[in-house]
Amino acid sequence: MGCDAIVIGGGLNGLTAAATLARGGLRTVLLERREGLGGLGRTTEFAPGFRSAPLALEDGWLPPPVARALELKPPELVSPEVTLAVPAGGGEWLALSRDLGRSAEAIRRFSPRDAERWPAFCEQLARHAGVLAALYLLPPPDIDTSALGEVLPLLGVARKLRGLGRRDMVELLRVMPMAVQELLDGWFESPVLQAAIAAAAIAGLRQGPRSGGTCLGLLHRQVGLPPGALRGRAYWKAGPEALGEAVAATARRRGVEIRAAADVVRVLTRDDRVAGVALASGEELSAPLVLSSADPARTLLGLVDPVWLDPEFLLAVRNIKFRGSSALVSFALDGMPEFPGLAGAPAAAAGLLSLSGSTEALERAADAAKYGRVSARPHVELQLQSLRWPTLAPAGKHVAVARAQWAPYALREGSWDAARRAELGDRVTALIAEHAPGFPGLVREREVLTPADLEQRYGCTEGAVGQGEMTLDQILFMRPVPGASRYATPLEGLYLCGAGSHPGPGIPGGPGWLAAKRVLADRR
Amino acid sequence: MPSRYDCILIGGGHNALVAAAYLARGGRRVLVLERRPLVGGAAVTEEIFPGFKFSVFSYVVSLLRPEIIRDLELPRHGLQILPLESTIVPLDNGDHLGFWSDPDQSRRELARHSPHDAEAATLFGRLMHHMAMAVKPILAMVPPDPASLAPSDLKGMLKFAGHFRSLGAERFHALYKLMTMAAADYLDEWFELDPLKATKSASGIIGTFLGPRSPGSAYVLLHHYMGEIDGAFRAWGFQKGGTGEISEAIARAARAAGAEIRTEAAVERVLVRGGRATGVALASGEEILAPVVVSGLDPRRTFLELVEPAQLPDELVQAIQRFKFRGSSGKVNLALSELPDFRCLPGVGPHLRGAVSISPSLDYLERAYDDAKYGEFSREPYMDIVIPSMIDPGMAPPGQHVMSCFVQYAPYHLNGGWNDARREAFGDAVVNTLTRYAPNLKSAIIGRQVLSPADIERITGLSEGNIFQGELALHQLFFLRPAPAWARYRTPIRGYWQCGAGTHPGGGIMGASGRLAALEILKGRG
Repeated sequence: MGCDAIVIGGGLNGLTAAATLARGGLRTVLLERREGLGGLGRTTEFAPGFRSAPLALEDGWLPPPVARALELKPPELVSPEVTLAVPAGGGEWLALSRDLGRSAEAIRRFSPRDAERWPAFCEQLARHAGVLAALYLLPPPDIDTSALGEVLPLLGVARKLRGLGRRDMVELLRVMPMAVQELLDGWFESPVLQAAIAAAAIAGLRQGPRSGGTCLGLLHRQVGLPPGALRGRAYWKAGPEALGEAVAATARRRGVEIRAAADVVRVLTRDDRVAGVALASGEELSAPLVLSSADPARTLLGLVDPVWLDPEFLLAVRNIKFRGSSALVSFALDGMPEFPGLAGAPAAAAGLLSLSGSTEALERAADAAKYGRVSARPHVELQLQSLRWPTLAPAGKHVAVARAQWAPYALREGSWDAARRAELGDRVTALIAEHAPGFPGLVREREVLTPADLEQRYGCTEGAVGQGEMTLDQILFMRPVPGASRYATPLEGLYLCGAGSHPGPGIPGGPGWLAAKRVLADRR
Repeated sequence: MPSRYDCILIGGGHNALVAAAYLARGGRRVLVLERRPLVGGAAVTEEIFPGFKFSVFSYVVSLLRPEIIRDLELPRHGLQILPLESTIVPLDNGDHLGFWSDPDQSRRELARHSPHDAEAATLFGRLMHHMAMAVKPILAMVPPDPASLAPSDLKGMLKFAGHFRSLGAERFHALYKLMTMAAADYLDEWFELDPLKATKSASGIIGTFLGPRSPGSAYVLLHHYMGEIDGAFRAWGFQKGGTGEISEAIARAARAAGAEIRTEAAVERVLVRGGRATGVALASGEEILAPVVVSGLDPRRTFLELVEPAQLPDELVQAIQRFKFRGSSGKVNLALSELPDFRCLPGVGPHLRGAVSISPSLDYLERAYDDAKYGEFSREPYMDIVIPSMIDPGMAPPGQHVMSCFVQYAPYHLNGGWNDARREAFGDAVVNTLTRYAPNLKSAIIGRQVLSPADIERITGLSEGNIFQGELALHQLFFLRPAPAWARYRTPIRGYWQCGAGTHPGGGIMGASGRLAALEILKGRG
């Protein structure tokens, strides 16, 4: 039986795309390789009775227009008291909250000058991130036809949307290509505050804070956040999977047929255009439109017969920088770990504990990745997920998730085997123990997901859950590659709708929504 | 009191000399004031050891703007560029990788190492050529201010935008990638041979505080592709008599047009009255008046030292304070009793008439950068080496030679600071590294001049020893160089102008900043 459109992948973007297409009157089938839906928010039972959502360590920005388009009921949101805490050495912590004044007071203990500057920095960051937020609600400019001529007016639109002055706009253009270290040197003197901000900039990148372009990482992470809420996004009280479930419900209500355990292995073509998909089971489904939320490499190199694509285009796809460089460790804990010196603990651990106390520590950790090695002292970010969502662990027990950077997908020597995985797990445990001495004794079980494991489990190329680094050369009209940045691929009827496309990762539903709108517009 | 001069130029670097020449040709009475006994700034030739002449700092030329050569008739005044014929990269396995001025020879050489890369190099060269052609007009453009609504700025922005539109999609994308990527990543897309990528990306890190794997390093790659001698792209050359002769040629052109040049005349500050520049005060106490004062010094000196920052808007002062200098390179000049005998190409050969690049692998460069990042000079640095006496025998006594080693990285902010011991340790690191490739080198040295960034700063006045008067990073280019709203050579003080490499388009012996500034000055009565 045929349908109008097939969506590959049941993550937030796939679900959003399907729901949007259905709204536009298309009979849509969504195919998910695994059993569950919801992509990054999905939880897994990694130890008996313990569940974690390792990819939901940081919540994304659900753009309000997308939430409205999906008719989502306003969820009950929770903001942790302490959104980000960083150890400053000597048993001291810098604990930031969403409140500008409270954060400034926390900073004052380390540097009165920095405390004075904090509000102005936050305002500027929010203004600049606001321009990105405006750009993220629009399809990327079409460079193929008019080059820069279109970018400038678009920037103008974004600027006006955010009430930004022209000088501010120039300042944004100046800041984006900078190294976050340079930006911070211009504002702050306190190493721990610098580290708190720099860690936000490099999360998910292979680069360290002294690398050019890392300011973009910082701005991207702050999109949609009010001034001062450094990485302090409120989360859904109903659980990490609640957003995915809500979007799936919308999709179903609109008539989308959702099939789990349906592993697409090939995009079928006929008469120079898409004709449907083939599943691992051998089953074939026909449809004139296929939207893939799998990453661009998986889609264009894995699912499509290369004869349909231009060799230069394929080369560009092969050149996408994925470079997954983080590992995720889930810990099943017999009790609540203590963090000496951290005021407001344990509740503070519901936010993010970013364990590198200086940008030099971050930079040194990043150096290893350049040479294809795992950091001797990886940068670790820790969250007690069971404090957010108590049902993840049995009563009295806890679940902690740690992201360890850098653990490059491509190792120069050897490969990701069991021994390496265990060694990395030990390193992360030992680093946490430096700040929570009782931690190792509480660990009942742990699960280490290296980039190779992430690729295996989630199907993301090179373990890059963001489907391609968010760097200046891979955003807007360059994402994922020139010639496919407006969701349509050179193969007629095949569209991309995942985080590999504009506006990228961390914006659940954003790419899916814009891609589906493009599909609907193309049909008119 | 009427002043004897219309324009005073502070500093006798090549940009100020170019500006002086253009201003004098425009009918202005011009005075150039240089602190040192000789003009040229970082483009000087000095006899450091008896009989051995060195291009002490800047040592090769390729970016000098052809319109300046024409307008100022520089060949008539002594400009004579001798081409460098090759670049040799000694490899760790004892072999070498060579690039020759004859494209066929280069191709054969590359194919010996990698047939794939030999093919790719042809396409790559063509693309770079087109992009360099596309970017070049920007070098001759006064940056528009995108925040301004003035008609001239809007027109400038349209011209700028239209310029990119004319590129076509494919080249625009390639250019965009070059502007935003790491040199290593960009080259990874083209080539497989590691020493090739290392050597090409080395040109992307020169004078910046970036590693080849840091985004932003690919742009400078293009900057160095824009080199042009007699219309031939990617050609580097050596001035007969050393780079100081380029400065002398420009100075002669300026004098011929009526400009006056005074050396050993250090300007201490710019005289300002009622928001207007009225002249300069020398260290000697002498005051010289002129309605137009043009600083050829770097932005830090121009805005924070020559004038009272209180006379400037806070925003500009802050922008200049955060402007990045971070000198990252040093220079080692050697007087040699005999030619170096390279293990990879023993004996005397044509390769000694070209450059030798110590860039055996990307990891090598990246490790060199890592040392500098944490405040040390590279234990095994990247080097670009030429032996000028092979091309111009007048540079050294008969049978003997001078060797110029550009060395990166040597951070200005060295842990514990630069002193004589650290300088010599740095020199030793250079010589020891080189001796691994040319075993006879150490014993052939009869004179050694080591210049750390601190020395470069002390001698030339370049802040933090940055050879470009400020890093050529994306956020310090075009309308952001040296500061937003002040990239058009003007300053907030009427009659006070800037013309150094700290303004668009920046570094290298290019002269474009000096020329553009002079043309702006000549436009008005300012």
